[in-house]
Amino acid sequence: MKRTSLTAVVVVGVVAGMTGLAFAAVPLYEAFCRATGYGGTTQVAEAAPGRVLDQSIEVRFDANIAPDLPVTFAPKQRSQMLRIGESNVAFYRIHNLSNEAIVAHANYNVTPQVAGSYFFKTECFCFNDRVLAPGEEADLPLIYFISPDIVSDPDTRELSTLTLSYTFFRAADQSAAIASN
Amino acid sequence: MSHHDAAHAGGAHDAHGDHRPSIYDPRRWLFSTNHKDIGTMYLVFAIIAGLIGGAMSGLIRWELKEPGITFLPHLVHVPHAILEQVRLGVMNADQLWAWKVDAAKHFYDTLVTYHGLIMIFFMVMPAMIGGFGNWFVPLMIGAPDMAFPRMNNISFWLLPVSFTLAMISFLVPGAGDHAGFGGGWTLYAPLSTNWGGGATPFSYHDGPAMDFLILSLHIAGASSILGAINFITTIFNMRAPGMTLHRMPLFVWSMLVTVWLLVLSLPVLAGALTMLLTDRNFHTNFFNPAGGGDPVMYQHLFWFFGHPEVYILILPGFGMVSQIVSTFSRKPVFGYLGMAYAMVSIGLIGFVVWAHHMYTVGMGLDLEAYFIAATMVIAVPTGIKIFSWIATMWGGSIDFKVPMLWAIGFIFLFTVGGVTGVVLANSGVDTSFHDTYYVVAHFHYVLSLGAVFAIFGGFFYWIPKMSGYRYNGFLAGLQFWIMFIGVNIVFFPQHFLGAQGMPRRHVDYNEAYQYWNNISTIGYLITAVGVLVFLVTLVEMFLVKRKAGANPWGEGANTLEWSLSSPPPFHQFNELPVIKPEAGH
Repeated sequence: MKRTSLTAVVVVGVVAGMTGLAFAAVPLYEAFCRATGYGGTTQVAEAAPGRVLDQSIEVRFDANIAPDLPVTFAPKQRSQMLRIGESNVAFYRIHNLSNEAIVAHANYNVTPQVAGSYFFKTECFCFNDRVLAPGEEADLPLIYFISPDIVSDPDTRELSTLTLSYTFFRAADQSAAIASN
Repeated sequence: MSHHDAAHAGGAHDAHGDHRPSIYDPRRWLFSTNHKDIGTMYLVFAIIAGLIGGAMSGLIRWELKEPGITFLPHLVHVPHAILEQVRLGVMNADQLWAWKVDAAKHFYDTLVTYHGLIMIFFMVMPAMIGGFGNWFVPLMIGAPDMAFPRMNNISFWLLPVSFTLAMISFLVPGAGDHAGFGGGWTLYAPLSTNWGGGATPFSYHDGPAMDFLILSLHIAGASSILGAINFITTIFNMRAPGMTLHRMPLFVWSMLVTVWLLVLSLPVLAGALTMLLTDRNFHTNFFNPAGGGDPVMYQHLFWFFGHPEVYILILPGFGMVSQIVSTFSRKPVFGYLGMAYAMVSIGLIGFVVWAHHMYTVGMGLDLEAYFIAATMVIAVPTGIKIFSWIATMWGGSIDFKVPMLWAIGFIFLFTVGGVTGVVLANSGVDTSFHDTYYVVAHFHYVLSLGAVFAIFGGFFYWIPKMSGYRYNGFLAGLQFWIMFIGVNIVFFPQHFLGAQGMPRRHVDYNEAYQYWNNISTIGYLITAVGVLVFLVTLVEMFLVKRKAGANPWGEGANTLEWSLSSPPPFHQFNELPVIKPEAGH
């Protein structure tokens, strides 16, 4: 191959590689957020660690709804005090105001965002999309704990209050709702 | 200089060198494979796009001259349906004005958006890379033409196509009734998406304007990538004998770094735009939280492209300023290797600082600390360049010809913009300055006053070579001083406005900001007079036809292009010049 063509082919390869990397960024970005708690991404655990500290922390609950979702959605408790490491239950209430079934998808994070890697959920309504029957009212459970490691991280050990926030969206995939209608 | 005789063989004995087709033959331009003709087309295109983009900024400044939405409502397009309602008496004059004011808000946003996109993609990049790059990279390395002359043709002709699509996008519905995309040149999701259609209380840009814009930028990107492949191949394989990498003129070095940045960053923009396109049209959810996506990821992808892009806009300017300062100080550039590798390191570090554009997304202290440190590190190679230019001038026999005025203006104003850049690099400060006029002042100092000054400097430095004519020194000098005063009056007060908290991209503002906004608009008018003087200078030059010799700048101009006639023969260097060690840079 001529030297000029070889150079051109190599540069085309670089262009293709960078295009590939742009798309590879999608799964990498998600994996990065999950692994580091970046952006306040909460963690998932099978069970609480069993180690419970004397120190308590306050968890506040926040609820948001995307503008095109005809539901009411609110936490049943404004906040909870719990001991660090202890497993706790909280409930949100959702009410489908429309006379259609809707698939709702919850996004969540915790602020301050540095605490994301210490906020563990063992069970959450947010793990799966939820089909809401027409007019359905439901209590949505959440079981969570704060990892005792939070007190040994210099960025988080001063924290006395965490805020857990959910936003319900109309899920992009509404096929389950169409099936139940 | 020692390579003078060698180049003579390339120019004077070039038998068919003068068989240049008539400039009135459209085939010469449409089918051109000549790097100099293609460079000329890029420069003409950049001037036209610059006038359009500059007119848009005029509308922006005129609206901001006083508080209240007073000027743009007169210019908005009123759809037929609204006119019909006025005719039937359903809508009275007050209601019509209210409709126009509402439309003017979106119109203002589109002006800001397209001004930025046009100046970046259709003015600065075509002028520096396509224009000066095409003209002078082959001449400076002693090559007969670019490596792939036909690909060079398609690189250029994709650009008018892309520009046409962008202009169509400006005119077709973007958000509801309102024409154009108004989400800023960064095209952030979710503003650039069409979620919610138009039926729900919230919809962003549901019209086709954004889709046209995506296609336009895809094509502009393809044009730039093809051009970049061409430059890399040319510089790596077609240097004249003896022209080693470390003897290349600094302008060629700057182009080499620039086109590598293009190759590495533009595909990421293309990827992000493709994701936007499929999110809008094919039900994917890359950036849609309702489907598990994340709009912040768009910002990461965009700025992974966007930050190298701002270096793409300035690096060729560094190269041109190095040539000009050396020529008019009659000294070789101080610290040649340091200058070359400063550009390489600016290019490399430019890829790892992108999140300093998005401190406010909430990224955690450690990450912010990293991006602050990495950003500030860029001040080191940039400082090397500034001090080396000053050291080049130090003790030199300085000749204040017009290109030198622009180059010194560049060094001064770019330094001002660089200093505010270091201020903004601090996330604590940026949290307060983010999206204020302080940022607008900063990036206009490095781009509008930096890059554009470099372009004018390069233009007046090389126009005798490109056209064969000398410009009128009085007119060109007049333009420099008018524009130098004008742009500083436009942008320096914007530091004050930003520090006082005036947000950017807003059509209206609190009366407290009126004083400096008024001054800024007066500065625009002065600048516009400067642009008029530039056009007069151009016309005068081509009418009076003062012949420029092969080298109008004297012994300081010792790169290869000055060894050819002005304008250079249609095909040059049929016998390659041989570069001896002392002749480099």
